Amino acid sequence: MSLLKAVIKKLGIILLTLLLVSFAVYAAFELIPGDPALSKLGTDATPEALAALRHEMGLDKPFIFRYFSWLLSCLKGDFGISLSYGRTVSSMIISRIPVTVFLTLFSTLITVVVSIPVAVLMTKYAGRFFDRFTYVVNQLVMSVPSFFAGILFTWFFGMILKLFKPGGYVSYDKDLPGFLFYILFPSIAVALPKCAMSVKLLRSSILEEADKDYVRTAYSRGNSTMQVMYRHVLKNALIPLVTFWSMSVADMIAGAIVIEQVFNIPGLGRILLSSIQNRDYPVVEAVIMLIALVVVVMNLLSDILCKKIDPRLKS
Amino acid sequence: MKILSVKDLTIEFHDHKLPERAVEKVSFDMDEGEVLGLVGESGSGKSLTAMAIAGLLPRKRLNAFGEIIFEGKDMLKIPRSELRELQGDELSVIFQEPMTALNPTMRIGKQVEEPLFIHHKELSDAERKAKALDWLEKVELHDPERVYHSYPHELSGGMRQRVMIASAMVSDPKLLIADEPTTALDVTVQAQIIKLLLRLNLKQKVAILFISHDLSLVKQISENVIVMQNGSIVEKGKTKDVFDSPVEEYTKKLVAAIPEVRF
Repeated sequence: MSLLKAVIKKLGIILLTLLLVSFAVYAAFELIPGDPALSKLGTDATPEALAALRHEMGLDKPFIFRYFSWLLSCLKGDFGISLSYGRTVSSMIISRIPVTVFLTLFSTLITVVVSIPVAVLMTKYAGRFFDRFTYVVNQLVMSVPSFFAGILFTWFFGMILKLFKPGGYVSYDKDLPGFLFYILFPSIAVALPKCAMSVKLLRSSILEEADKDYVRTAYSRGNSTMQVMYRHVLKNALIPLVTFWSMSVADMIAGAIVIEQVFNIPGLGRILLSSIQNRDYPVVEAVIMLIALVVVVMNLLSDILCKKIDPRLKS
Repeated sequence: MKILSVKDLTIEFHDHKLPERAVEKVSFDMDEGEVLGLVGESGSGKSLTAMAIAGLLPRKRLNAFGEIIFEGKDMLKIPRSELRELQGDELSVIFQEPMTALNPTMRIGKQVEEPLFIHHKELSDAERKAKALDWLEKVELHDPERVYHSYPHELSGGMRQRVMIASAMVSDPKLLIADEPTTALDVTVQAQIIKLLLRLNLKQKVAILFISHDLSLVKQISENVIVMQNGSIVEKGKTKDVFDSPVEEYTKKLVAAIPEVRF
């Protein structure tokens, strides 16, 4: 019963958040200067043609009325028609979702799989050469922006080692393995700074946990250093990281714009950028709603996962 | 039969510029099934002595010299792997803070079983669980099955200390080091834990090294007592003798300061 209540409460919060975001997004386009009808027809359009188009687009109706009719059609899955391409927004977005999903999935996977062993090894040799050396390298990696790493990758793996054709994006519906291989490089570029941050966070989290009393208890039972690490310390140390990783997933989706540009990948970031430039507001609104949905869902997932790891959070 | 023999145990901090002696030339013996009290004020080196015997000194900060012979092995000289074989199997520890001594994200059952998991690989999961449940019952926890599946934060301080005792006793150790096991508990729970420890000593024949700053407790629990001050032994002998007719000035002061409380 209490579980059902908690679920309903969580869902309520999610819906409320999305509603607020939808209103904010819609209102923002009302406030910023620029007339979609004008930008579609060009500055030399006659006032009559302009008025006709504005009427056709529903721009002459009051704001609240337009907001609710848009919200209603969104709920039915109809996000409108792109102003600059004339296609339905959903068809434009759906074809790009797999690209962004794989990019984010790979980056997150790389971040998690690489940062855990690196942080564990660093704490094993805490204060010794390996730890200090890795710490410096880690700091360096953290400060390199993804797009710059992307440019370096393009130059090194693309142009020198010729592992992939720079800018030669392969579509997933034509050649899936080729697509996955191509997407691997931008994924690493996106993952690098996140991975470095994870290492830094996890290293200090492990060191903090290692000082706790239960660790001494674990040693007193005859555990070796590595057994103490894997059976006791790591699970406790990962709790703050779960939140960080879930937030960085949301961040990767919204922040992939630059890396998509560098690797010429048609993901969500690119569509967002071009639609903002063109004032193609149905597209912008839909993409932002999608990002908001991901943020909210990731939040929920990290909550559930944290509670799974740390039983104290349940009460 | 002697089970523990400490000879000229000296412990130094080596992260200071000058080596600082925390424990100096401490020597004593323990017989099988004996309850030995180790008393002294904080900073007297009693806990460090206990941790050295348990093989739990933080080696990065401390150096220990001398001999600690347990089961015929010198705990200070044998390799780590050999030491680990004794820890949790022949020699167990319970600590002062039951609130933090258990892993918050691991179920009680798994923690109680862990010594068996490490030292008695021949046991099946079911056998391990049976032993753990048996021990949860022996330490007088109601509804062992429920406790087995609980997490530490769901139990009170007294219950957690009982869990710690169950975990320490599950592999039938010869020596139990109890480092201020009741200091963090309130007085009624304290009395229950003391009675439990005495019963275990009687039934399981486990020797107990009982470390405490509380002389009235030590008076009740141990046959023999060692009084430490500033890292050295001031006086040792039968508890009755030491408390009734203390020889050293420091012990006299300590004994005079005992408030008369009887359980």
